[in-house]
Amino acid sequence: MTTKYLDIFLREAHEHLQSLQTKLLVLEKEPGNGPLIHELLRNAHTLKGSARMLGFEDISVIGHRMEDFLKEMEDGARAGDSATIDLLLQGTDAINRMTEALAAGKESPVDVEKFIAAFDQGLSTAEAIADTQGSEQEVVLDTVRTSVKTLDSLVNLLGELIINKKRFEDKSAELKELGRTADAMLPAGRIRDFQQALEEDVLYLGYIIQELHAEAMALRMLPLKTITEGFARMVRDLSKAQGKEIEFEIRGDHIGIDRLLLENLKPMFLHMLTNAVDHGIESPQERLAKGKPAKGTIRLSAHHEGNSVVIELRDDGAGMDPKRIKETALRRGVIDRDEAEMLRDEEALYLTLRPGFSTSEIVTDISGRGVGMDVVKMNIEKVKGNLTLKSQVGSFTEIQLTLPLTLAVIDALLITCGGERYAIPLSYVQETVKIRSNDIATVAGKEVVTIRNVTVPLFSLAAILGLEDGRAAISGGKVSAVVLKQRDQVIACSIDSNQGTSEIVVKSLGSQLKRIRHTFGATVMGDGNPALILDVPDIFTTAEGTSTVGLRRALQESQQVVSRGNVLVVDDSITTRTMEKSILTAKGYDVTIAVSAEDALEKVSSAAFDLVISDVEMPGLNGFELTARLRTMDEYRNIPVIIVSSLAKDEHKRKAIDAGAQAYIVKGAFEQGTLLDTVEALIG
Amino acid sequence: MEENRAYDIRSILEEMRQEYWQGLAEKVELQEELLECVTFVLGGEIYAFETTHAAEVLRVPKLVKVPGVPEFITGIFNLRGEIIAAMDIRPLLGIATAPLTAAARIIVIKSANYTTGIIVESVQGAHPLPLDMFEPVVKSVPASAREFLRGQINRDGEVAILLDIIRLLAAPALTIEHLS
Repeated sequence: MTTKYLDIFLREAHEHLQSLQTKLLVLEKEPGNGPLIHELLRNAHTLKGSARMLGFEDISVIGHRMEDFLKEMEDGARAGDSATIDLLLQGTDAINRMTEALAAGKESPVDVEKFIAAFDQGLSTAEAIADTQGSEQEVVLDTVRTSVKTLDSLVNLLGELIINKKRFEDKSAELKELGRTADAMLPAGRIRDFQQALEEDVLYLGYIIQELHAEAMALRMLPLKTITEGFARMVRDLSKAQGKEIEFEIRGDHIGIDRLLLENLKPMFLHMLTNAVDHGIESPQERLAKGKPAKGTIRLSAHHEGNSVVIELRDDGAGMDPKRIKETALRRGVIDRDEAEMLRDEEALYLTLRPGFSTSEIVTDISGRGVGMDVVKMNIEKVKGNLTLKSQVGSFTEIQLTLPLTLAVIDALLITCGGERYAIPLSYVQETVKIRSNDIATVAGKEVVTIRNVTVPLFSLAAILGLEDGRAAISGGKVSAVVLKQRDQVIACSIDSNQGTSEIVVKSLGSQLKRIRHTFGATVMGDGNPALILDVPDIFTTAEGTSTVGLRRALQESQQVVSRGNVLVVDDSITTRTMEKSILTAKGYDVTIAVSAEDALEKVSSAAFDLVISDVEMPGLNGFELTARLRTMDEYRNIPVIIVSSLAKDEHKRKAIDAGAQAYIVKGAFEQGTLLDTVEALIG
Repeated sequence: MEENRAYDIRSILEEMRQEYWQGLAEKVELQEELLECVTFVLGGEIYAFETTHAAEVLRVPKLVKVPGVPEFITGIFNLRGEIIAAMDIRPLLGIATAPLTAAARIIVIKSANYTTGIIVESVQGAHPLPLDMFEPVVKSVPASAREFLRGQINRDGEVAILLDIIRLLAAPALTIEHLS
């Protein structure tokens, strides 16, 4: 037989088996549901027929027996009780195991004769099935199978395409500028046409990329259903074994989740479900005694919330007792007595997430293995998710997982700090603000700012990251800061500049930089260079131990510097101008440049300068004449003038004084100290 | 006839010469085991490792600093969508870190565990190095650096130091994993 037919059969069998399993569980709840029994009959019948057609006699025989059973149920000759459902589920299991063996090209693990004998007598068929169940069985037959590696490279390449698009846009902008400024020699019209055409291309390219990107992202997504299919059965079998009655509900299992996330989620859910059955839901007697319905409920529900998927697991069982949790934590040495007294009841619940904590006194065979809640918490944090616990003793327990929709693309705020660009996931950003020195107060020596009427501690991001130049850039007496939030905590971090928000592609730092504190990956920016993505929970952890940053003092100093004075520099030599300007601005003076005496006269009429520095020999009016003119103006009669000149003769110095200048500096001896000293002596 | 004879003599001489060279070449081939190496300059000295480990050579792009990592990790860069760390291995080998010039390059290496880039002062090229000229590392080199050196190949006074690149890249200090 060709593999083609085998594949078709396996796919079909998988569907029917899945349907049988799900519907049998429903039938158990609604024993008289005729149409449902009929559908089950159809499943069993088709399965039997297909198996026979391909010569899988064993499968066909079991299918046939199941069909008989269902037929009797439909005719009312057999009660649709729990025992019958059990048997039919065992039949489903047996066929499932046989098709798995077929798919893997292995021997059938089922002894059909034995099985049928047990089945007919309504006995357990366990002995007829060899225990070959190895690792977790793989599901997902009717979805696209791609290796994560292929997907990653696809996403990777698309990321590159996005970068190329940005380059394209830059070129277009450049060309537009060219079209605007081109002189008569360049056919400006043609350039403009070209620019328009290019712009259209860019638009179209952007559109295609967006589509492609969405498609590739969708490839990464799988419905939650892919991992929850076996859950109902597991809860049923577990509760039966423990003599409990449990109704298991799943809602929203069509919601798509990143497949990498999904792979991590399954063991976590198995653990949490086992916990809910083992420790959550009470026995029927206990429940009745408490005035609750004998049957407990476990509900798994998923829904979208913004850019996240929220999955809740809720049981109406015994709840979590903060007192008992504290006692256990104390006994296990997870906390000390002082800490136990300080903890509020809601906080005590989270002790169960700490390593070394397990409320289970008896290690049952099921919850003894698998992951602990501490591992669940760690895994959730690893994927930038959040785990919250709610409970009321005797009433319910609810575990809420908030997960990102995808791990590959996030919205981020781009900032600069210490000369590098960084991206901060937008989900942690409350807002960005500008801070002045008088916005900063201190609480017990720590600097704080008030943001939306809340006192928020202030830190330097550069200091938190341990950058050498830990001082934030101050401009105009203000410093930019980003306000970060994590759960109910808020901090403000000073940064160099805010570069706006952007959708970024998350990349790992590779296997050499496995985990770097304060970062969780990198992204590639429009210019092709990487930027690190900051890990905000890490930043909160470090901030706790970081002391005050002295930002207020730095801001105050910068403001003193800013108010030092407005200086007009007049010189026709670009070298001298630039030198003078950089010397003065470095010391906090505001410098305006004039390229000639005429230019200077125009500038003084529209602004108030505290000091004028002028060259002597310039085209047009010279420096002496400029000084003399200034002295005739009311606003500039008493404004100090410094003459800077290469002319070193006493005669020139006298001329300068005569014209009304306060100081004369010779260019030959021109050095930073002299100029600054003179300026400081004149205007402070 | 005269000319023919002359021709014969010339051809005989030529044959002899060829035989001589051939013999010499065979002798060299027999004796000489060659190691195909990429050679480059660190601290003004010539270093080498087997070409098979080098994936490609790049001009030094902008390296983005990573906070909180040892200084020898100069920064990260984007290699066709993959983020790679660039290392200045000179401090690890006890070599002074002179400022890099425009001749500086990054040699990209794909090791068993990770892809990385090492920054070198310049790249000389790929050369077959004669293994029979191999000498063990001189004892004056400090042990911490000697660990990553296999020895040197001395070609008539021109010394190429053979780097144990596999050992170097397997050094735990080169992989950074901060605790959560």
